[in-house]
Amino acid sequence: MKYSFPPLILSLLFCSFIFADPDYHERLNLQPLTPASLLASFNFWSKASLQSYEDQHFKYIPRSLGQILQHARTRELHLRFSTGRWDDESWGARPWGGAKEGGTGVELWAWVEADSDAGSFARWITLNNALSGLFCASLNFIDSSRTTRPRMTFEPASKGHNTSMENLYLLHGTLPREVVCTENLTPFIKLLPCKGKAGIASLLDGHKLFDASWQSMAIDVRSICPEDGSECSIEMEQTVDMVLDVQRSKRPRDNPIPRPVPSEGLSCDETKPYASSDFCYPSDISNGQSWTIAEIFGRPIQGSCLAEDSKGNPLDSVYIDVPNEREMYITSGTENKHLSGTCRSFTLPKSEPFEMVLSHLGPQTFNEHTTPPLFASRSFTGHGQERGGVQTLLTNPSFTSPISFVYFETLPWFMKPYLHTLTARLSTSSTPNQILIKETFYRPALDRRRGTQLELLITVPANSTVILTYDFEKAILRYTEYPPDANRGFDVAPAVIRLLSNDTKAPVYTRTTSLLLPLPTPDFSMPYNVIILTSTVMALAFGMIFNLLVRRFVGADEVEGWDVVALKAKMRGRVMVLRDKIVKKGREKKVQ
Amino acid sequence: MTPGTDVGEGNRDHKLRFPVQSSNKPPAETLEGIRVRGLVIVSFWAVVIFLGLPVWLWTTSIHRARLPLREMLDWADGKACKPSFPLQIAIEAPSLQDAEAAHLVRMTQHALDDLNEFSAHHLRLRLTTSLSNLSRRNASIPESQGLDIDEGFQSYRDSDVRDDSALTVRLRAYEGVQAARSELQSHSTILDIVYPPNQIPSVSSSSSALAAFIANKLKELFAEEQAIIANILSQSAGGIQSASQSPYVSPAAGSGSREIRSRPNRSINPEMAARLASRMTRSLKYAPTYHITMSLFTPSASPSSWNVESALAAYFTPLLDSISAVSNFTVDTQVQLYATFSPSVHPPEYDTEHGVWTLQEEDLSGFINAAEWPLSPSIGAGPTLNFVLYVSDQATSPLVVKGSQASSWLIPQWGGVVILNPEDANATSPESTLSKEAIQPALLTFSHQLLSFLGAPQTPPSLPLQLQTLTRIRAASLLLSASSTMGSLARLTVALPSIAIPETVSIAVDTTLSHLRGTCDALKEGKFTEALENARIAEAEAERGFFEKSMVGQVYFPDEHKVAVYLPLLGPIGVPLTMSALKELKRVWALRNAQRP
Repeated sequence: MKYSFPPLILSLLFCSFIFADPDYHERLNLQPLTPASLLASFNFWSKASLQSYEDQHFKYIPRSLGQILQHARTRELHLRFSTGRWDDESWGARPWGGAKEGGTGVELWAWVEADSDAGSFARWITLNNALSGLFCASLNFIDSSRTTRPRMTFEPASKGHNTSMENLYLLHGTLPREVVCTENLTPFIKLLPCKGKAGIASLLDGHKLFDASWQSMAIDVRSICPEDGSECSIEMEQTVDMVLDVQRSKRPRDNPIPRPVPSEGLSCDETKPYASSDFCYPSDISNGQSWTIAEIFGRPIQGSCLAEDSKGNPLDSVYIDVPNEREMYITSGTENKHLSGTCRSFTLPKSEPFEMVLSHLGPQTFNEHTTPPLFASRSFTGHGQERGGVQTLLTNPSFTSPISFVYFETLPWFMKPYLHTLTARLSTSSTPNQILIKETFYRPALDRRRGTQLELLITVPANSTVILTYDFEKAILRYTEYPPDANRGFDVAPAVIRLLSNDTKAPVYTRTTSLLLPLPTPDFSMPYNVIILTSTVMALAFGMIFNLLVRRFVGADEVEGWDVVALKAKMRGRVMVLRDKIVKKGREKKVQ
Repeated sequence: MTPGTDVGEGNRDHKLRFPVQSSNKPPAETLEGIRVRGLVIVSFWAVVIFLGLPVWLWTTSIHRARLPLREMLDWADGKACKPSFPLQIAIEAPSLQDAEAAHLVRMTQHALDDLNEFSAHHLRLRLTTSLSNLSRRNASIPESQGLDIDEGFQSYRDSDVRDDSALTVRLRAYEGVQAARSELQSHSTILDIVYPPNQIPSVSSSSSALAAFIANKLKELFAEEQAIIANILSQSAGGIQSASQSPYVSPAAGSGSREIRSRPNRSINPEMAARLASRMTRSLKYAPTYHITMSLFTPSASPSSWNVESALAAYFTPLLDSISAVSNFTVDTQVQLYATFSPSVHPPEYDTEHGVWTLQEEDLSGFINAAEWPLSPSIGAGPTLNFVLYVSDQATSPLVVKGSQASSWLIPQWGGVVILNPEDANATSPESTLSKEAIQPALLTFSHQLLSFLGAPQTPPSLPLQLQTLTRIRAASLLLSASSTMGSLARLTVALPSIAIPETVSIAVDTTLSHLRGTCDALKEGKFTEALENARIAEAEAERGFFEKSMVGQVYFPDEHKVAVYLPLLGPIGVPLTMSALKELKRVWALRNAQRP
C-alpha cells in the first residue's frame, strides 16, 4: 500500500504512521498551535475491493454514496466543505499539505467516465444533484457557469486504469457562497461505519466544529489498481480538520457567554514596565495551554471503532504532536512515544470512554511549526461601479530556492477580466517582469453559460514577492439574476494554487480566501415603475390624440359650462337650510 | 366664467349683476363633423374589439392538446373493457378412447361451469394427446377439434397447446387405487390424477364421480387466484364509484358498473376478503424493476461482515431468476454497525417464562430507525425493497416479538425485518463474520416476504403455477390502474381549465389507450404474457402522461395581479373611450327619440 507512507512534508506535520488494518482505520491527530489554538485532524479511511463495490455489496464504503458514484459513472471524487481562513502567518503550514481542504464554501471535482464532453457534463449534473440531496447542500446549483475543466491544477489520485483513462473527464465546480453547517455534518457522519457512536467520530459535534476558527470537511474517493496485477480496490477517505480556539472551546456549553476573568485569576505579564498590582498586561495564554478532551470537545472519546488489525491487536487511533517532555495523562489505553521526540500516540479502550489530559504542570513547550512554502493573498483594487482589479501577492519565504506553481482561478461570467492587463512583477520593481509567468491557459467566459478559467504557471524567485494584477469590468445583470440580498455582493471563488516540485511527493495546495465583488445593483421596484411610467405616457398620448379627434373645439365664451356662481349660491342656500334646522333643533331642546 | 344661457327663475339677481352676453352659442355642428366623430369612435372601438382583444386572448392563452376524454372515462368506468381470464387446461388421457375422453372432458367442463361463480375467470378444458400416441390422435382430428368447448379457440393449433395451457392434467388409470387421487408437481405445470379404471364414465352416462373430482380439484387449485382477481376488479369498481362524482359520469352508469363488478365479491366470504385486502395493501405496486437492499444491522461493532455474496448466490438468486419474467431485480447489500433503536421504541424486556427478551408488538412499526439507519431508496427508477437482518445485542439475546415469539415481520410496501439471534449466546465475543449458513434462514424468510410483496398467491404449491397466476394478477391490476389513471387525467383536465396540456400528454394518452385495448384483447384470447407486456407499457405511458412536468408546474398569475399591472394603462385609456362611446350613444338615442313623432 503505497499510500500508507506519508510524504516527507506530512511527516513534519504529523507523526508518521503505518496502516495495518485491511479495510478500515481512523485516526485523530491533535496538534497544539500557538497561541492558544488546537488543530484537530480526524481521518477516516476505508477500502473495498472494486469487484464487490461494482456488485453493490457495500461494507465500509457507504451504500448511499457508492450508488451515487456508480450511477453517475464517477471514478474519482473530491468533495470539500470549508469555512473560515487558515491563518498561515501564525499557524504555519496547512495540514495534509493543503490537499484535503477546499476553498470557502463547497468545492467539488471529479473524474467522470463518458464518451464525450457533453456526456460527461450530463453525468456531472446527475452527480451534483444526487450529492446535493445526500449532503443537504446546494450542489445542484453548480451549473455550466460554475463548472470548469482545469488543465494543470488537478491530477487524478487514482492509480492504474491506464487503458480507460482516455474516457475520463475532469470537472470542477465551486460554490463560494454556500454556508457550511450542521446539516452537512450529519450526513457526513452517517457515512462512517460507526456513525459517531464510537471511536474518534464521537467527538464530532456541530456545535464545536462550526464554532472553530477554521474547519474543512473532505471526502475523497479513488480507485487503485496495483501494478502487480492484484485485485483493484476502491478507497474512500473522509477528513475533518478544525482549528479550535482553546479558551473559547473550554467555555461551558450551557453558559457560553464570555465573562471577565476575576482579577485574582488573571495571569499578568510581569516583564512590562508598568506591571504592578493595579496594572495587568495579560500574558500570552499559550504559555499555559492545558486541556482535556472533554473540555475541548464536550465529551470524551466513546471507545474505539474497528481499531484492530487483522490479528486482533489494537491500533493507535489518537496522536498528539507535543514534545516528549510534556506531561500527559490518560484514563485507559496505552501510550506510545515516538522516536522523533515530538509525537506520541495512544490506543483506545474497546468500549469505555477515553480521556486525555494535557497537563499544565511540567515544561510548557510546543513543537515548532513549519513555515508554509508559499504565502498567497488576493484582494480587489479599482473603484466605481464598472471597473475593478484583482491583485494577488505571492510570497516565497524560502531564502534559497525558487518555487513554481499553478495558479488557478475561476471567475464568474459577470466579472470580465482584460487579459492584456494581466501582469506579474516583483514587489521590488515597478515594471512587469515577463519571465515570471511561464504558461497561461485562458478560457474566456460566455455570458450566462460559462465562467472565466485562468490557469497560470508562475515561478517566484527565492525570498521575494510577486504581485499579480489584472483589471476587469463588471457586467450588469438581468433583473431576475440578482440574488435576494444583492447589495451584499457576489462571492468569487478562491484561487487554487498547486505547488510543483520535481520529486514525486503528494500534491501541495494552497488556497486564497474568497472575494466579495460588489456589482451595480438596480432599484428592484424598477419594473413596476417602468410599467406605470410607460402606461402613463401611453395613456397621455392616447388621450391627447383621442380628444383631438373626438372633441369639438369652440371659443372660450361659447362653452356651455357650469354656472359656478349659481352653483355657489345653490350650495350656500343648502348650507343655510341645514344651519337653520340645527339651530331650530337647539332652540327646541332649550325650550324643553 | 360664462353664465348659462337658460338662467332659471331663481337666478334672477345674478342676472342683474352679470348682464347676459348675447349670441355666444357655438355655431351648429355640421352633419359631416358629427358623422366623422361617430366614425372615429366606432373605429377606435373596432380596433379594441377586433384587434386588441383577440391579440390579448391569443397571447395569454394556454395550449391544451385534445384528449379523448369520453374514451378515457369509459376506460376508467370499466365500460370500455370487461376483462376476462379464460384459462386453458389441457387434459391428457393417453389410456382412454377418444370418445370416452371427450365425454369425460365435456362432463368435467359442465361440472366446472356449475361450480364457477365468477364468470370473468373461467377454466376451459381441452383434450390433448401426449406425444406418445400422436399417431393415434392424427386419425381422429375431426373429433378432437370438435371437443373444443369454446368456439373461439378452434383456431388453436395443437403445437400451441403446451404454451397456452395454464395447466396440464394427466389422467392415468391404475388398478391398485380405490378412489381418484391427485398430485401436483411442484416444479412444473402438470397435475397428475390417478384413478381406478372403473370410474371412467360410459359415453351414455350423465354424471361421473371422476369428472366431479377433477372439477373440484381444478377449482381448488385456482380458487385463490380467482378470489384475488375478483377482489382486484371489485376494489377498482369501488374506487371508481367513490370517484365518480364528476359531472361526466352519470350516476346510472356508475352504479351500473358497480353492480356488474361487485357481484363476484359476494362469492368471497368476508374473512377471505379481509385476508386478500391485507395482502393487496402489503404488496408493492407493479414496476418493471425493483431494487432489493439487504442490510445487516448490528447494535455493536460485531459482527462486522457477512458472507452475503455466496449466500445470495445459493439461496436467493435462483428465486430471482425464476421470477425475472415478471420483473427485473437488482440486489445490493450493506453492513451497518452501531445501529440503535429509535428513542420511541421501548427497550427489550426480559420474559422470565420463556427466557427470552421481548419487543412489544406495537413497537414493530417504529423498529426501523429511519432517522439514523441509512435505508434511503436506491438510485434509479423503480421502488426499493428493504430487507433488514438485525443481529440482536449480546446483552439482550435471544430477542423475539412479545406474544407471537416471532423473530421476523413484514412492513407493508417497504420491506421485511428478521432478527438474528446468535446461536451461541454464551460466547464471550460474537463471530465477527456471519457465515453463509448462519444467514440462510434469514434469506429464506426474505424470499417468502419478497413473493408476498410481489402479490403472488400462496396456493397452489407449484412455483410455475404461482408465477403464471402472478402474470394474470399483475396484468389485471396494471390494466385497472392504467385505466383509473386515464380517468383521473380526464377529470383533472376538466376540473382545471387553466392547466396546460402539451402534445406529449396527448401522445401518451393515445399510446396508453391503444395498449389498453391490446391488453384487453390479449386477455380475452388467453395470451396472458402478451397482455402483461401491453399492460406494462400502458401503465408506464399513463403515468408519464399524468406526471408530465410542464403540466404540473403551471404558472399562476392571479387576476388581481394582472389588473394591478395593467390598470395604469387600461384606466386612462378606457375612461375616455367609454365616456365618448356613452355620449355618442346618448346622442344617437336622443336623435332617434326626436325623429319618432
